[in-house]
Amino acid sequence: MAHALLEPVAAGQTRFRMQGLASDARGIAIGREVLVVLPSIDALVSFLGAYSDEASLDDLVPTMTLEQAQRAGGGHATLIRCSSSDGYAVDRLARLATTSRGQLYTGGGSLFVRWREREAPFGYDLADAIQTVRDEVIVADVDFLARYTTTHRMDPVDLIQRLELRPVPIPLGGVSRDPELCGLKEMALVLVAPALAHRVLRYLWRMELPMAGYYARLGNDTQPSLLLRLRQPRPRALDVLAAVPGIELLAPVSSRAAVEIGWRHPVQLASAQSCLPGDEMFLFRGRVARVERLDGPPRFVDGRHLVESTAGVRLREIGQLRDGELEPLRVELRMRPSALAREPKAVVIAWEQVPLLRHLVYMLPPAALAAARIVPLEEGLVVLAGPSSLGRVAPTGLGAGLLLPLGRRLGEIAPGVLVPDGHELWPRVRPALLRHLLGLQAEDYALYLSPDTDPIRVRVEQLRPLDAAVVGRLTLDDAAIVSPQMPAVGVGTVRNVRLSRFALWGFGGLPAGGPRPAGEGES
Amino acid sequence: MTDFVVPLLAGADVWVGKPLRPRDRDEWASALGAASLPDVNFWRLRRAQLLTAQPELPDPDVDELSLWIGLHNLLVFEHPDRARVWAREITWRRLEGATRTLLTLPSPEDTPTLVARHLSVGAFIDLLRAEVIVATPIGEVRLPALESGRRFLRGASGPGREQSVPWLPQPHAPEVERLIEDALRSSPLTCLLRPTLAPGGWSPLLAAELLLQRPWARAVCHAWATQKDWMLTGGAVMSALLPSLPRLGGSPPPAGTLDSGTRPALPEAGAPLALPGAVVPCDPQALGAIVGALIHLHLLKVLELDTRVGLALGSREPGVLAFLALPLLLPHLSSELGEPVPAVAQDATSAPVVRRWTEYVDHLAELVPRSVVENLLATLVGRIVKPA
Repeated sequence: MAHALLEPVAAGQTRFRMQGLASDARGIAIGREVLVVLPSIDALVSFLGAYSDEASLDDLVPTMTLEQAQRAGGGHATLIRCSSSDGYAVDRLARLATTSRGQLYTGGGSLFVRWREREAPFGYDLADAIQTVRDEVIVADVDFLARYTTTHRMDPVDLIQRLELRPVPIPLGGVSRDPELCGLKEMALVLVAPALAHRVLRYLWRMELPMAGYYARLGNDTQPSLLLRLRQPRPRALDVLAAVPGIELLAPVSSRAAVEIGWRHPVQLASAQSCLPGDEMFLFRGRVARVERLDGPPRFVDGRHLVESTAGVRLREIGQLRDGELEPLRVELRMRPSALAREPKAVVIAWEQVPLLRHLVYMLPPAALAAARIVPLEEGLVVLAGPSSLGRVAPTGLGAGLLLPLGRRLGEIAPGVLVPDGHELWPRVRPALLRHLLGLQAEDYALYLSPDTDPIRVRVEQLRPLDAAVVGRLTLDDAAIVSPQMPAVGVGTVRNVRLSRFALWGFGGLPAGGPRPAGEGES
Repeated sequence: MTDFVVPLLAGADVWVGKPLRPRDRDEWASALGAASLPDVNFWRLRRAQLLTAQPELPDPDVDELSLWIGLHNLLVFEHPDRARVWAREITWRRLEGATRTLLTLPSPEDTPTLVARHLSVGAFIDLLRAEVIVATPIGEVRLPALESGRRFLRGASGPGREQSVPWLPQPHAPEVERLIEDALRSSPLTCLLRPTLAPGGWSPLLAAELLLQRPWARAVCHAWATQKDWMLTGGAVMSALLPSLPRLGGSPPPAGTLDSGTRPALPEAGAPLALPGAVVPCDPQALGAIVGALIHLHLLKVLELDTRVGLALGSREPGVLAFLALPLLLPHLSSELGEPVPAVAQDATSAPVVRRWTEYVDHLAELVPRSVVENLLATLVGRIVKPA
């Protein structure tokens, strides 16, 4: 029968055969370091990508070493070694390692044992002591022992920078269909080949796009390329730029890294700030498969300094204005019929129809009734839809002018200027100018009661609320308090009447037929 | 009547003065009648309507008059002027004997008499006592209130303020303690509604006749359910009921079966002589009515979501445990008493009730010791369900 190399740790066990193991707060045996054994580099990349999606690689990288190792007895493996913080983080590492076809071990130095699993919820400890050999990493599993010899080490930062980008599809209708999907909604970086720089600048300047940029020398190029930053770019401009050979659109993924659209880095760079050392800017270019390291942080210059003006004209100041010669231009403001439909803002109700209005008031919705104002005039009663027509408060719902099927309707052609329905003032001057021409104060109304008459001015203090005008004085009846029909049954209260000194007069003799009192008659 | 009986029934100031003599009762008895006491009849009806909607009450009779006089004289023993009265101690003892005579009434034979007794005694145990709190240099002194204002205590800073406190829970004179038991014994219905106050020797079987009538059974169950310690109430009923339940087929038959011709065996020579307790003959129907009412109390509390049985865990009193064990006897009793809830929910509204009741009974099965259930099976169930 095969002899098990490991034995499960019991609950509450504090002493272990393997040196360096200790129990954490949950009682799980955990060593100083963890070792992830992965079968290949691809699995390593998957592991790093999956980890960066869930947590920050910045926690892992400072203590992480990557080793390519050879297994005694044949075979290779990629080893990730990092310090173990707590059981929960190691649990996550173990889950991700299993997902990436690897296995996680815990321990320290050169000896590691298997991490906890379903059969051993508190982890494993060595069944027998194992002799370690220098320059070897020994991994003890339940039924086998693997010895790894490191062949070479890899720098994790270097590895992450050298990873090949993976292509991702661009939306079918181009970038403009979904800039957010490409990561260009807030900001886009545009890398322009040297020969196209001026033309692109001219195009963007003509489109009045807010931009900033500077020239940066990439790799061994003889001429500097132009790197532009567009904030909230227009989707149409992005489509144009994306289609031009020599222009690359890059989406910023962190403050110091940008990836070309249509490509994705295997590792989430936003959670791997420590993998991009220094203060350089990294441009990951997928099409040409290069990573550009720009010296220092980008120093963008506003776009207007990048373009050069070639205009040769000069502005000339005007001299004397000829205001006096405008007299032939003056025209008269007239009223004319119009087919333009307007919402009635007021109605002029003849006095004969006012009793009908009294009945219709019951049908007005509360908001319309509260907002309605009236002006009693000789010609009739004017019902205004409300003070909202002056534009201070946005009208809500239907106004009383629309709801009352009485009288002549007035439409509003300018704030506070009401003309009969089906008419308008000609020529159509600006509303503010019209009020100015009519000499209206801030809250005054001008009413054209009929097309032929002059307008009348209504001041705000002449307006009266419709609801207060139609409802007469209310009288309140005092509430009559009705006492309950039947008196309530309560609890009695003992009160004492004064006792005289002869209160027990009459009890001196034994009551006839009664029992003897307690304690009497025994003797 | 106007100073004591009407305020007692209506809930006003009950005036206690000079003790009344038994011969007064004989004089007043001739004036008793339905038409002679309209106020008293009205307030009796109002107080009875607190229990059930359409009570049936007899006219006041000599027994009820004795009860009123006895209750009045009972209160005289705590009169603050008792020390002023020129009387020897033997006279007070005679007064106590006379009062006991007045309070010792025959067992009520029908439901209206039961209810009529409860009207007076129930109002009596709810009485308040007016007290005057006087501020003195040594602190506040509480004194029973007197009609014309108590004399100022020496050093009192003012006339004091008045406060009403419940009369029954206060410490009483020894005569009063003895007479309260007599008063309660005269009203089995009061004891049934307030079993925690019932005197020793009382049995719920004395008022079981009421529980056989549906309106009264409902009134009693709801009166129990409104009390704060409903488990103690149920436990008190069971405690009073258990002495009536000797083991079937075991030792000597209860005294209630004396009429069957058998006599209890005499104790051995030298053994302490003791009279057998007053065991009420138990009718299977009456016993079933009491048990059914107690099980219905469980159901009411399940419906009220007030079944915090955890509170009773600390209580190891046999009565409370027996009360909690009653729903567990349902499989044996359902042939006679029926089921409080259907075994399977008939519609959507009854489904939560059935579920809660089932959960409650399961919880009780874990809570109540098995020996309690077996004891009840041996004593109680056999008396209600006839063996096949």
